[in-house]
Amino acid sequence: MKKLFIGLSLSVSLVAGGAMAEDPEATAFRDGFIAGNVDWQAVQERAKKEGTVNLYYWGGSDPINIWMDRTVAPALAEEGVTLNPVRITGTKDAVDLVLAEMAAGKGPGEGSVDAIWLNGENFATLKRQNALFGAFAPKLPNSKYIEWNAEDPRSQMNLRDFGVETGGAEVPWSGEQYVCAVNTDRVAAADVPHTFAELKAYLDKTPGKFTYVKPPHYIGNTFVQATIYAHNPDGTGASAFQESIDVIGAEELARLITPGLEYLKALEPGLLDANGGSPRYPEDPSALDGMFLNGEVDFNCKFGMFAVATGLAQGTYPEAAEQFVFPEGNMIKNKNYLAIPANAPNPAAALIMTNYMSSVESQTSKLQGTGMPPGIDPWKLSEAEAASLAAASPGLVGLTQADLDANAAPDTNATLVDVIEATWLEYIERDSTDPIDVIVKRAVENLSK
Amino acid sequence: MKNPKPPELARHRRERLWMMLQLLPVFSVLTILFGGALVLAVLQSLGFAPWFGVNTFPDFSYFGALWGSYSFWQSLALTLYYALMATFISLVMGVLLALAMVRMFPGKSLYKYLYKLPLMIPYTVGIALAVIMLGNGGMLSRLAAFAGLISDPSEFPQILKTHYGWGIIAVYVWKQAPFVTLTIYAVLLGVGRETEEAATILGASRWQTFFQVTLPQILPGIVSSTLIIFAFNIGAFEAPFILGGGYPDTLPVVAWRYFNDADYTLQLQGMATVVSIALIASGILFTYLALYRRYERRIGRN
Repeated sequence: MKKLFIGLSLSVSLVAGGAMAEDPEATAFRDGFIAGNVDWQAVQERAKKEGTVNLYYWGGSDPINIWMDRTVAPALAEEGVTLNPVRITGTKDAVDLVLAEMAAGKGPGEGSVDAIWLNGENFATLKRQNALFGAFAPKLPNSKYIEWNAEDPRSQMNLRDFGVETGGAEVPWSGEQYVCAVNTDRVAAADVPHTFAELKAYLDKTPGKFTYVKPPHYIGNTFVQATIYAHNPDGTGASAFQESIDVIGAEELARLITPGLEYLKALEPGLLDANGGSPRYPEDPSALDGMFLNGEVDFNCKFGMFAVATGLAQGTYPEAAEQFVFPEGNMIKNKNYLAIPANAPNPAAALIMTNYMSSVESQTSKLQGTGMPPGIDPWKLSEAEAASLAAASPGLVGLTQADLDANAAPDTNATLVDVIEATWLEYIERDSTDPIDVIVKRAVENLSK
Repeated sequence: MKNPKPPELARHRRERLWMMLQLLPVFSVLTILFGGALVLAVLQSLGFAPWFGVNTFPDFSYFGALWGSYSFWQSLALTLYYALMATFISLVMGVLLALAMVRMFPGKSLYKYLYKLPLMIPYTVGIALAVIMLGNGGMLSRLAAFAGLISDPSEFPQILKTHYGWGIIAVYVWKQAPFVTLTIYAVLLGVGRETEEAATILGASRWQTFFQVTLPQILPGIVSSTLIIFAFNIGAFEAPFILGGGYPDTLPVVAWRYFNDADYTLQLQGMATVVSIALIASGILFTYLALYRRYERRIGRN
């Protein structure tokens, strides 16, 4: 009984004192690996001892889940590592878990998350809270397939994630572009909109046949960002949104986003079910896929360069679905990444897993099985490797790679995304009567608390 | 001088000790887990969250902001509407079913098992069934389109995802009417049918028999079962989240949205929402119980 009390009071004092428990061996391993003093063989040996890797990722896609179970798990088993795929409904859940564990004093080697599939705000949060493992990505053997040379402008996608410097703390896993699909059975080619003005005109004529995923889901945030780019009052598009909120300031941001938000407000009466009172925004892309398949809406916008090809193959898209250029010049392109949290319980196994994910072999089978575009850079591959990757592509339907490249736009800085999202929720969803600059100012103040 | 303890006293003490031991597991779960969580929730809703770098305890601004906004009251009205509507329909259907069950009819033994089926199936499965059957693009809409009643599944009348909440109420009733039936059926079996038969022989009409004989007898069952399902309905999250009509959401969904926001300080607002739900639910339930106790005392039951 006495021992129990001692144990209890000890743990209470630990929690109260905020002391960080850590596994000194894990810390030494991390420092050694980041400094380049641990060779890959030692990582492999340690990974075998650790035995498991807990990968937290959004589990809402069947093809990805199947690919994880059938391809990744056996490949990692060859390295003596068991893949524990933890399928979550929102990436933020994993970030919250890491932060909660760190707040509870679980330091290096003591947490429960080994790796997270993420980008944007979630990475920015982990970075801000100092909850990342460190600059592991350029140290992976397969990082040779990734462009790290900052002088090459194409490396920006690998070095910056939503305007936040990655610092090598996450490794690119897939690169996506925001592409819309249209059901050509229902929309004549001449009516397919390519600008926001044309979309509004189409919905004035046939109301209710469009909706977008509801922010704060990132697919919805991206639609809002593209709208804001296109309505930038200075006409400078995405380039005005690449600095952090501290640099731009609330007042300037409010000025830049006002026309875009006013357009979205004006669009509301034309959205799905708007005639029944309030417009209906789907919670996530799978809900929007369902509406598109059922003919409730005629368009489906999301990150999915190969979404139509895979959707047609799996029967989750209507047969006449085709991709089209929308909005002209503002089709947002970004990468998503695998990051290792600071308190990963199996850091070596996480390194083995992220290295496998960056291999040509796994990128090829991922592209083939799930339609997720590669995260590695084709110009860094040998000709044969690049050809095998290109051959695995499910293909574009209705537009060409040149169309995509010509209309590409970068993502918004992560610190702005939070503010824009909060403003959308307040101005569009909650129908706030406050002017936009007041809402933006309030959001900035809340977020900086 | 020491008196030898009488053996009865020692036995009595042993029994007391044994009783305490029996109470201990549940009591400790309630106080430590439940009570602890409640205390933490109240603390957080009053601005105590040093792990987010927020500590303004005691700070009533989170409640102020919440209760001061029009959308909170909209959400509360919606929450109460779904909860009360579902409880009421379940109650009526459950009582009717229980009254039918005490009578004899062909196939009764099979039916006795059949009606309990939803009790064993989780809510989420019920929600999935609603989506598959009732959604636009669900079975009914496709059958209607196939039969030529509508030209396209998307024209099917919207049942789910509206603020009328028919989908939510349907799932609750599907699951809870059997529960009410089970409770009231058990009470009816315990009471027996003699009093009803006596009333009928003495010339009471069917309505008189129900309202003046049967209803007072099954009232304890009605109160306990509606208490439980209402408490569940007011705090339930999945059904309104998946089948609800979007903004304005019910209070549990509002709380979830706050927790899920990129802005971590909004989690305290979420806690204030959770504490508000607990306050409102317990207020309603205590009033309900107090009224019932008063009624019981009035009719001389204790």
